[in-house]
Amino acid sequence: MAGVWINQILQGILLGGLYTLFATGLSLSAGVMRFVNIAHGDFIVLTSFILLVLVTSLGINPAIATIIVLPIAFVFGFGLQRFLLQRVVGENVLLVILVTFGLSIIIENGLLEGFGADPQKISGGSLETATIALGDGINMGVFQVITFVAAVAMVAVLDLILYRSGIGAKIRAVSDDVVAADLIGLSSARIYAIAMGISFVTIGIAAGFMSIWTDFDPASGGTRLLIAFEAIVLGGLGSLWGSLVGGIVLGIAQSVGAQFDIAWQMLAGHIVFLIVLAVRPQGLFPKY
Amino acid sequence: MVDADTGAQLAVKDVSVFYGNFCAINHIDISVGAGEIVSIIGANGAGKSTLLKAIIGQADRVEGTISFAGDDIVGRSTKEIVASGIMLVPEGRRLFPSLTVEENLRLGWDVGRKGKGDIGFADIWKQFPVLDERRKQKAGLLSGGQQQMVALGRALLANPQLLLCDEISLGLAPLVVNELYALIPRIKARGIGILIVEQDIERSLAVADRFYCLLEGKVSLSGRPSEVSRDDVIKNYFGI
Repeated sequence: MAGVWINQILQGILLGGLYTLFATGLSLSAGVMRFVNIAHGDFIVLTSFILLVLVTSLGINPAIATIIVLPIAFVFGFGLQRFLLQRVVGENVLLVILVTFGLSIIIENGLLEGFGADPQKISGGSLETATIALGDGINMGVFQVITFVAAVAMVAVLDLILYRSGIGAKIRAVSDDVVAADLIGLSSARIYAIAMGISFVTIGIAAGFMSIWTDFDPASGGTRLLIAFEAIVLGGLGSLWGSLVGGIVLGIAQSVGAQFDIAWQMLAGHIVFLIVLAVRPQGLFPKY
Repeated sequence: MVDADTGAQLAVKDVSVFYGNFCAINHIDISVGAGEIVSIIGANGAGKSTLLKAIIGQADRVEGTISFAGDDIVGRSTKEIVASGIMLVPEGRRLFPSLTVEENLRLGWDVGRKGKGDIGFADIWKQFPVLDERRKQKAGLLSGGQQQMVALGRALLANPQLLLCDEISLGLAPLVVNELYALIPRIKARGIGILIVEQDIERSLAVADRFYCLLEGKVSLSGRPSEVSRDDVIKNYFGI
């Protein structure tokens, strides 16, 4: 019997890896740059559809398709910030939310128009069904383990970029004081754009894993955004490692909740989120 | 490279600066030679900080020409202006509090003029041993005086030919201000021009080669500190 619960917790931790992939880019844009991108989840879904087209039309491996998409994602994120989103930075946080909310609606309806409302999925081939049996009914999916390792690696690399590199120091400087950054010639507009480009690379990686892990349809961006928000708030705004912990907490809550009753899966995650928010509103590892 | 008309390194010629319809600076002419210390004095709202903003490329609307090393820099981005050799020590220091002392300094190095880098990190640590001890500490945790040292160090690491100092004595203990002002002649000795904006008239005139007094956006008096009487300065400072 214990094996069932241990298995659920293990599945929850692995699911937390996927959630961390959703959350890390948002943690950079919302937590560090204080730029709330409401369309974050929709961009993950949009990228998944792009991957679907690449995989089905060119017949290439999903991993290769993802790698092809990443540099494009960076350039797209950079351009989006530089030429559209930068216009509303610093004025009023409501404008940022409205503009990205508008993008979210455009993406959702555009995808609905182009692909219809049917759920889609990219096949991961034999990798999807491969499992590691640990005995006592405890099994780990190989793809799930790879996803988790990718999530930890993504957080580690982003943490290195943010805290050990020159561009990271510039991003943190702009986050500290935009006006001062411009006064000494740091050009905040360019640094915002680079940060958003990096955030979009994480969106590309998240899309690569999500599109194999689970179904997606044009309307599924909202739940991805909600999960990403919950993970970064749970972990503490601005803390990258915190969003990994937040993702894992959500994953375990959902997985254990589902063991009681499948209808409890999403609800259990939200309840744990609300409890932590009530008890510790600054999150588990607050940066500010 | 100097301005063709005046022979100065920095030549602000017939410059007006506007905030919307409000004219904060009204047709002024100011010059700074290479390795010269020039002081801008004036009451609150006289346009001192606006002048520095215009030079560094952060003013909304600038009319006239600002030539630096022979080129008109009006309309250039701050990034380009800094890279060409002008660096600002902003009012209120404006360090990045969550970054370490070393990271704050490195930003100056990163944005600065490339090439003949006279001043390196070793010079900064030598000049400010207290910063050397705290190089891994967050800048926000330093005292006001130490923060001003970092702000000055950050500007010097940008390898400027012209340093703009905005109210570096503001909010600091007199002893600390003495220490900072003692550095000004040494910076000049490296051939760096310095434009000082300061409310403390005594202190800024004591160190300056020349000065300009601003009153309501215009130059009300200028010259060498030794050549003008204190009464004249006071009269032109307050406009009475």
